[in-house]
Amino acid sequence: MTPNVLIVAEVDSGRLSLPTVEAAGVARSLSGPDGKIVGIAGGAGAAGAAIEFGEYGIERAYAIDDPRLDGAPAQAQTAYIAAAASAVGAHLVLLGGSTAGRDLAGRVAVAWKAAAANGVTELAWAGEALRVQRPVFGGRATEARLLRGGRAVVSLRPHAFPAAAVERTTCAVERAPAASVPPALLAPRRTGVEAVPKGTGPALSDAPIVVSGGRGVRTPENFRLIEELAASLGAAVGASRAVTDAGWRPTSLQVGQTGRSVSPQLYIAVGISGAIQHLVGMMSSRVIVAINNDATASIFRVADYGIVGDLFAIVPALTAEIHRVRGI
Amino acid sequence: MEIVVCLKPVPDAETRLRPRADGSRLDPEGVKFVLAGYDESAVEQALLLREAIAGSKVHAVSFGPPRWTEEVLRAAIALGCDTATAVESAGEEAGDPIAAAEGLLGAVEGMPHDLVLLGKQAGDDEEGLVPGALAEMLGMPHFGYVVDLHWDGAAQRLRFGRSAEAGQETWESPLPCVIGLQQAWNDPRTAKLPAILKSRRAPIAKVSPPAPSPERAASVPERFALPPPRTGAKMIAYRTPEEAAQQLVRILKEEAKVFP
Repeated sequence: MTPNVLIVAEVDSGRLSLPTVEAAGVARSLSGPDGKIVGIAGGAGAAGAAIEFGEYGIERAYAIDDPRLDGAPAQAQTAYIAAAASAVGAHLVLLGGSTAGRDLAGRVAVAWKAAAANGVTELAWAGEALRVQRPVFGGRATEARLLRGGRAVVSLRPHAFPAAAVERTTCAVERAPAASVPPALLAPRRTGVEAVPKGTGPALSDAPIVVSGGRGVRTPENFRLIEELAASLGAAVGASRAVTDAGWRPTSLQVGQTGRSVSPQLYIAVGISGAIQHLVGMMSSRVIVAINNDATASIFRVADYGIVGDLFAIVPALTAEIHRVRGI
Repeated sequence: MEIVVCLKPVPDAETRLRPRADGSRLDPEGVKFVLAGYDESAVEQALLLREAIAGSKVHAVSFGPPRWTEEVLRAAIALGCDTATAVESAGEEAGDPIAAAEGLLGAVEGMPHDLVLLGKQAGDDEEGLVPGALAEMLGMPHFGYVVDLHWDGAAQRLRFGRSAEAGQETWESPLPCVIGLQQAWNDPRTAKLPAILKSRRAPIAKVSPPAPSPERAASVPERFALPPPRTGAKMIAYRTPEEAAQQLVRILKEEAKVFP
């Protein structure tokens, strides 16, 4: 079998988003020498984003030429994606692990009569089927499923795969096959976006490194120790529920069952005891470091590396050491 | 406004997870299935809209084996939902969210529905495929990750926020529409004891799921596995904070290879 893959681009400020570039890397490793990999991009900046697939060794892409899609929700592209998948003879439609990608997968699966999985951390062909693996129950278990029937729609878990290596080639961009967009999907309009404040590091759910502080930080003023450590690593700042409930930092920073689930490459928990509420939001991080003055804290049971000690001494020393090693 | 709220029975948070004997999926034996997480926010949202818009009704729908759905639907009634409908299945569809959407579709189509609310994802598999799949089947727009939903009666539009990578987006959409709600932003109410007692006797309508469409590709659970128990952190021994910092940075660079 020589699998063909269609990658759905998400365009971020005229460029392919990081989740899309991660999807491109997965497509290249999955497709084999004879399989076709084709990109598809729609909405504002589609043609430019489609050309950018060439940066990652992808030689062919569709641009959806439909001005009605500008400002419309990504789901308005569903019929185009399904038509392109059929035109390419795709076995797999691959989406990045963004909000839009996760939202699109179920729709595209229905439109293209495919099986689907969201938030996948491993995938491999098993004959005609695609075997996918994904964490469930907040990382307390994993499930493997077979997507049968030769048609699969999959979105990836953010950061579970490295971004595609740059391998410049020329991407031939063609107009996407025609499709009929239901008017109902063009009716919703975005009326505003309040950008994540700049200068505060990457967005929590998207960051490869997260540094979180908990009750052990003791006062809202002390929380800057966490922020300085995060800044030294270019990391996003998170917080336990104790911190956001006390109003030290906004609830948008809360990691846990009632906040955000994160799965960065590196998660550093400072002054966090490790209530199950918090653990389910970060347990699927690749490497976990805990700094806490209580050697019996449950956070040390899920951490890979632990430092028992006074965070007010350890954290500034760690920030200084990181500055030294990174030369900043 | 006729509001349908779709609820997935999920294992109680205290459940000791273990695979079924064949290893393919969670063993449901002895598991208590409950209304939880994102779906609680969906019920709360439905009730808030009903309180805001005169003459509205909230219809709860759940898909799965009767033992699982009954608990969830009675909880929904105790919270104030007007009707409850169970789509009965054997539970073998676990691991095929598109099949779950097909099951819900039949029930939703059989009742008035201006707005369909769900959790943006289920509290167990956390997959988030059903809102989009159901919306595509219904030919409606849909949005996941939604917070702060309001009905603007003058403009006849839903207005809501949505947390995306770029920041907090605001949207407007006409009805009908499918909405997947973010968890816990609206502080879901808890049911009062008299309402809980009354809900035990409330009628639950039953419908059969449609026959699976033969041409559709299937998703089949193969393995449900618990991660090997974490052995606990490797503790860093040190004499001074500076030494602890140096050791940790060295480990992150050389051993874990996650240093930026």
